Amino acid sequence: MNYIIDITLIALSAAIINNFVFYYFVGICPFIGVSRKVDLAFGMGCAVTFVICIAAFISWTFTAYILMPGAPLSSWIAGFFTSPEQAAGIDLSILSYIVYIFAIASSVQFVEMYLRKAFPMLYKSFGVFLPLITTNCAILFACLTIMSKVAGAENPAEAWDLGRALTLAFFGGVGFTISIVIMSGIREELELCDVPKPFRGAAITLIIGGIMAMAFTGFTGVDAGLKKAMTQEKPVVQAVMKEKSMEKGSAL
Amino acid sequence: MTDNSSNAPTAMERFIQGILPENPTYRQLLGLCPTLAVTNGLKAALTMAAATGFVLLCANVMTSLIRGLLKPHLRIVVFTLTIATFVTIADRFLAAYLYDMSKTLGPYIPLIIVNCIIICRCEVCASKQSVWVSASDAVGQSLGFALGLSSIAIVREILGTGMIFQFRILPVQWPDWVIMVLPPGAFFTFGLLLAVVNRLTEPGKK
Amino acid sequence: MDWIRENKIMQAWLVLTIALFFGAMLAGVQIKLGPTIEKNRRNETLEKVPALVLGKEGADKMAAENRPPLITPSTITVDKIGRKVYYNVYAVRDKGELKGYGIKTNGQGYADRIELLFGLNPTLDKITGLFILEQKETPGLGNKIVTDEWRSQFVDIPSFPALKVIKGKASTSGEIEAITGATISSRAVTDIINSAVSDLHQPLMNAKDN
Repeated sequence: MNYIIDITLIALSAAIINNFVFYYFVGICPFIGVSRKVDLAFGMGCAVTFVICIAAFISWTFTAYILMPGAPLSSWIAGFFTSPEQAAGIDLSILSYIVYIFAIASSVQFVEMYLRKAFPMLYKSFGVFLPLITTNCAILFACLTIMSKVAGAENPAEAWDLGRALTLAFFGGVGFTISIVIMSGIREELELCDVPKPFRGAAITLIIGGIMAMAFTGFTGVDAGLKKAMTQEKPVVQAVMKEKSMEKGSAL
Repeated sequence: MTDNSSNAPTAMERFIQGILPENPTYRQLLGLCPTLAVTNGLKAALTMAAATGFVLLCANVMTSLIRGLLKPHLRIVVFTLTIATFVTIADRFLAAYLYDMSKTLGPYIPLIIVNCIIICRCEVCASKQSVWVSASDAVGQSLGFALGLSSIAIVREILGTGMIFQFRILPVQWPDWVIMVLPPGAFFTFGLLLAVVNRLTEPGKK
Repeated sequence: MDWIRENKIMQAWLVLTIALFFGAMLAGVQIKLGPTIEKNRRNETLEKVPALVLGKEGADKMAAENRPPLITPSTITVDKIGRKVYYNVYAVRDKGELKGYGIKTNGQGYADRIELLFGLNPTLDKITGLFILEQKETPGLGNKIVTDEWRSQFVDIPSFPALKVIKGKASTSGEIEAITGATISSRAVTDIINSAVSDLHQPLMNAKDN
């Protein structure tokens, strides 16, 4: 039950409350560049969601099993070369960014191949924008968030599992789709308006984006309230104390 | 090699072009994600510009050194690898020596990997011209980027908190426009400044 | 250089060389900077603990006399129905005598998680100080929980009964004045402290008796 509550809150937070575009400012380039027609925008949103999910899956797997400090696969392999203690402390996280960007590039290639087979018309209408999804900050941002929740978690039992990671990825993509579709709807109407010359193009889009961001700010704190309403705090049942193994005399 | 053609821009031209005429933020509209995200303080904006400049310089030099040696699809692989490596180095550097800035900038430093400025400059300039020209292009573009970021950061920080770098600019009675340091303020500031720049660089008439 | 471009073996060697070069650079960076980064991460918390537990003058005095206190970190896991909550507890000892505890915990604030560090005296009945480690509250409003002014309300106040946030002037020392316009952020901080105090009472008492 708690797991479902957790997943729901992550989903809501990624899609609406901490919307990727309006709160974290990732995915701005396609937000401004691709948002002229609604169907193209929706297609782009779906493609990005698809790519984020695949990339998140690959990143989580690599981070949890190979890259994070003390990861199972790497320490097992290192165990053949060095002592067990050294092998358990192996930290390949410096390779994280390289792994993530290659994961994203491969996901985009995969989606490109799939679209070419399954939806050729859509593939044609995308044109050059499809390979450009590789440079979409939103995807790398999702991978980085997953890394910080898996490898950077203070307590290992609070590290995110695959379900949470994929939820964040999928609903982050959904939030991106929502924002880009709304923006394209507004811009289609804007074609009929008399926008002053200096504002035409990117400037007016940014200002409209600002107004939308203000609207989305209204959602702040919804997840905190929901969390409080859904989890009832009961008194302490039992507690276990564990001394962390640090060297003697770990004074400053 | 294409860098001996007489109409390719020289190093000086590349440098000057990058600062204002081909400014990455206002004219080319590249690298918008950090432009909106880290400009709520001048210190963060300058740190980000410095980090991007470092990566751009190294990536440009590296790409220029191996231009013409690799087939096209391998070029992209090596290119991606280069950028990711230098961003990792920049990120570690910040975490070691400027830990507070590293925490403030958070995930936006690794996002330099997908910053369109670097990819665009490497494609347009470094893969075709010599090391010296590419390096000056990188420096010019970085200065332009720093200019773009700081212009937005100054407006947001002064209107939002009345202070820059802990120096009070506006009187204490100024009611801080908190929205300026929140996401909507980023959009508004950038949009308005972009309109101003468009108006100023309009060719002659009106 | 066309021969390099056309020859597949040369291409493979070139990519391999470049990859090894980058790998060496990264390994070098990791070896040289890794310890510094670790130190930064640990110090962030550890260097605040003495001042929180002993008070600023006490901590400065010990630092000046060059006998820093012994800080023992530990993790306490508290089982609430269905979920576990983790607290990082730093026990501060000077010459073998327990001087107090620094407790690092986090909870939901108004906008995002708030991570804070607060001090408890050895008998667990007084809160000796508060430090906010991480927060993303509204700048200019909820942000003010990091200011010295607001945090000074948490120095030497009783931990039982639970702290209460009130608007306006505080009359007793168990009451905390809310930040104008940021009641939710203020309440979030006191809620986090209150649950930590009540959760950790039993475990810390048990640990002391051992």
